[in-house]
Amino acid sequence: MAVTRTSSVPDMVVLSGELWQELLKLVTAQYKVIGPVRRGSEHVFAPVKDPRDIDMAYVTTILPPKKVFHQPFQVLFSFDTEEGTLAEEESGEEKVLWGIHPCDMHAIAILDKVYGIEYPDPYYLRNRENTIIVAKNCTEVGENCFCLSMGTGPALRSGYDLLLTDLGGRYLVEVGTEKGRKLLSGLELVPAPRVVLVEKEKRLSQARQKFKKRMITQGIQELLEENFRHPIWEELMRECLACGSCTMVCPTCFCYNVVDKIDLDLKTGKRQREWDSCMLLEYAQVALGQNFRRDRDARIKQRIYHKLLYYEPQFGTLGCVGCGRCIGACVKRIDITDVVSRLAESVESDR
Amino acid sequence: MSTKLKVSVYKLSSCAGCQLEFLNLEPVLLDLVGAIEFSYFPMARRRYEPGPYDIGFVEGAVTCGEEIERLKKARQECRILVALGSCACYGGLPSIKNWTPERVIVSRVYENSSLIHSIKAYGIDEYVQVDAYLKGCPVNKDELVEFIKGTLLGIRPRLRPHSVCVECKLNEYECISVIKREPCMGPVTTAGCGALCPSRGKACDGCRGPANDANAESLARTFSEYGLHRSDIVRRFRKFAGLTQEFSRGADAV
Ligand code: SF4
Ligand code: SF4
Ligand code: SF4
Ligand code: SF4
Ligand code: SF4
Repeated sequence: MAVTRTSSVPDMVVLSGELWQELLKLVTAQYKVIGPVRRGSEHVFAPVKDPRDIDMAYVTTILPPKKVFHQPFQVLFSFDTEEGTLAEEESGEEKVLWGIHPCDMHAIAILDKVYGIEYPDPYYLRNRENTIIVAKNCTEVGENCFCLSMGTGPALRSGYDLLLTDLGGRYLVEVGTEKGRKLLSGLELVPAPRVVLVEKEKRLSQARQKFKKRMITQGIQELLEENFRHPIWEELMRECLACGSCTMVCPTCFCYNVVDKIDLDLKTGKRQREWDSCMLLEYAQVALGQNFRRDRDARIKQRIYHKLLYYEPQFGTLGCVGCGRCIGACVKRIDITDVVSRLAESVESDR
Repeated sequence: MSTKLKVSVYKLSSCAGCQLEFLNLEPVLLDLVGAIEFSYFPMARRRYEPGPYDIGFVEGAVTCGEEIERLKKARQECRILVALGSCACYGGLPSIKNWTPERVIVSRVYENSSLIHSIKAYGIDEYVQVDAYLKGCPVNKDELVEFIKGTLLGIRPRLRPHSVCVECKLNEYECISVIKREPCMGPVTTAGCGALCPSRGKACDGCRGPANDANAESLARTFSEYGLHRSDIVRRFRKFAGLTQEFSRGADAV
């Protein structure tokens, strides 16, 4: 995509030491920044006041950055039944989402389709439009990452406003949009020579060598379609705790429940939505207690088939971006890549 | 004539921590007493009004014959009968004694056992029909208020049926189980406490009893992989709700 230049900020710069610090300071001073910070031995995306709190070396976060747009708890409106009035929340200030990885950027691109096309969702879109995304290519790889197999990383090609690549002590910063360029406008910058792109590619191909986990994607649709009654599902049913963690942490899951929080006066309150999960028993329950997915194996299949089979016809891409969060969060270590490999192996050995 | 809901609060074998939560509702207590009237609440009011009552909250496990009689009377005088807290829901902490012979337990606690006629500790639904269960040791204040609001409005209150993990993740607490390999009961325990213990860096103890699709056998196998001794696994599943089918399967799994 050609970038129309509106200022003197170059399309590509290399920042190190003081200039890098200065950028962080400028951005955190001017915007509400949400970036990766430590929580115990894990990381979360959280508002950053002091740029020193940002941990750019984070591998993954408990919840994905989608939470900024599709919030775990989102107030839709408040109501007053006596006055017969509704009031919507004010839209928030412009935010910067700092340092998100390519898998999560791809997931946001999927959610843009989910919430932006057929039934545009004003809440998601409002949060989304107000946010400047600074993405970061991955030069290090986590034990559960398999974006390489999914074609969603470790390098990002589009979707970002600014893109960072760690070149070892210095960052390559690439401008994706004018929104992104704005972030750099307070700095004295010189364009980076094109040769840094060689260095960038080198780092990224080194990263590609580091993946330990992979997902078999070739023929995956047929594989799943043909194995709906495979014994593996029963085995997983005995293992899975139906705890819902895998879906809570997934960057492409979009299911939610809507609940009314009524005040004690019983007249006013808030309508709120919160994330829901198909792994939970009550998810597919309807009136009179009928439940379409009472059995745990049906729910495990729903999750995995939704990610790997049902997204495709609807959104034109698989629903898994290979972030590995569902694997890392599962107390039972149920691994979506392993499930697919085992299906493929058993088909192979049947031949 | 007052249109306020008439509420009664009964106590069986328990620590009184659950009924104390009514008083801990202080910030909203005034609003609450605008809508309901504590007609019978010995802990808080000296004066009683006779039944019938709209809602009766029963705290505590049933551990002697006299309590069965009081419970049956409570059932008769209340339109809606609520098990308040895990003791009333499942037997709770008092039910720990159920796996030791009654005589042994009694002699461990009392010097003179001739006046003690203690029986196996059960939740109240062993003896009477129960309309709602407020789980927890103690109950969660927000759930308590949610329940009262639902009753006032005549709608089903929203009590979370799923695992503690959901709330733990929604709030992004560090996972005690995956990260520290500690035996967290969260995956099989009913949410509604906001994942209180993980929020303080502690493994869930299972105080709210089994979630709606608890797979306790599988979690027990994981505890065993974490290096927990069989007897510790049994204790974990019997601490608050060992009488439930779900948790007894956990206790029997390894
Ligand atoms: S299914 Fe798992 S690995 Fe794939 S995007 Fe969701 S959380 Fe990440
Ligand atoms: S159906 Fe399940 S897997 Fe699919 S988006 Fe919803 S929660 Fe996620
Ligand atoms: S995180 Fe694991 S145990 Fe929990 S519902 Fe998902 S697959 Fe099952
Ligand atoms: S800490 Fe416990 S409750 Fe929280 S996600 Fe982990 S297992 Fe579930
Ligand atoms: S986290 Fe577990 S033990 Fe702690 S309050 Fe909640 S249900 Fe009870």
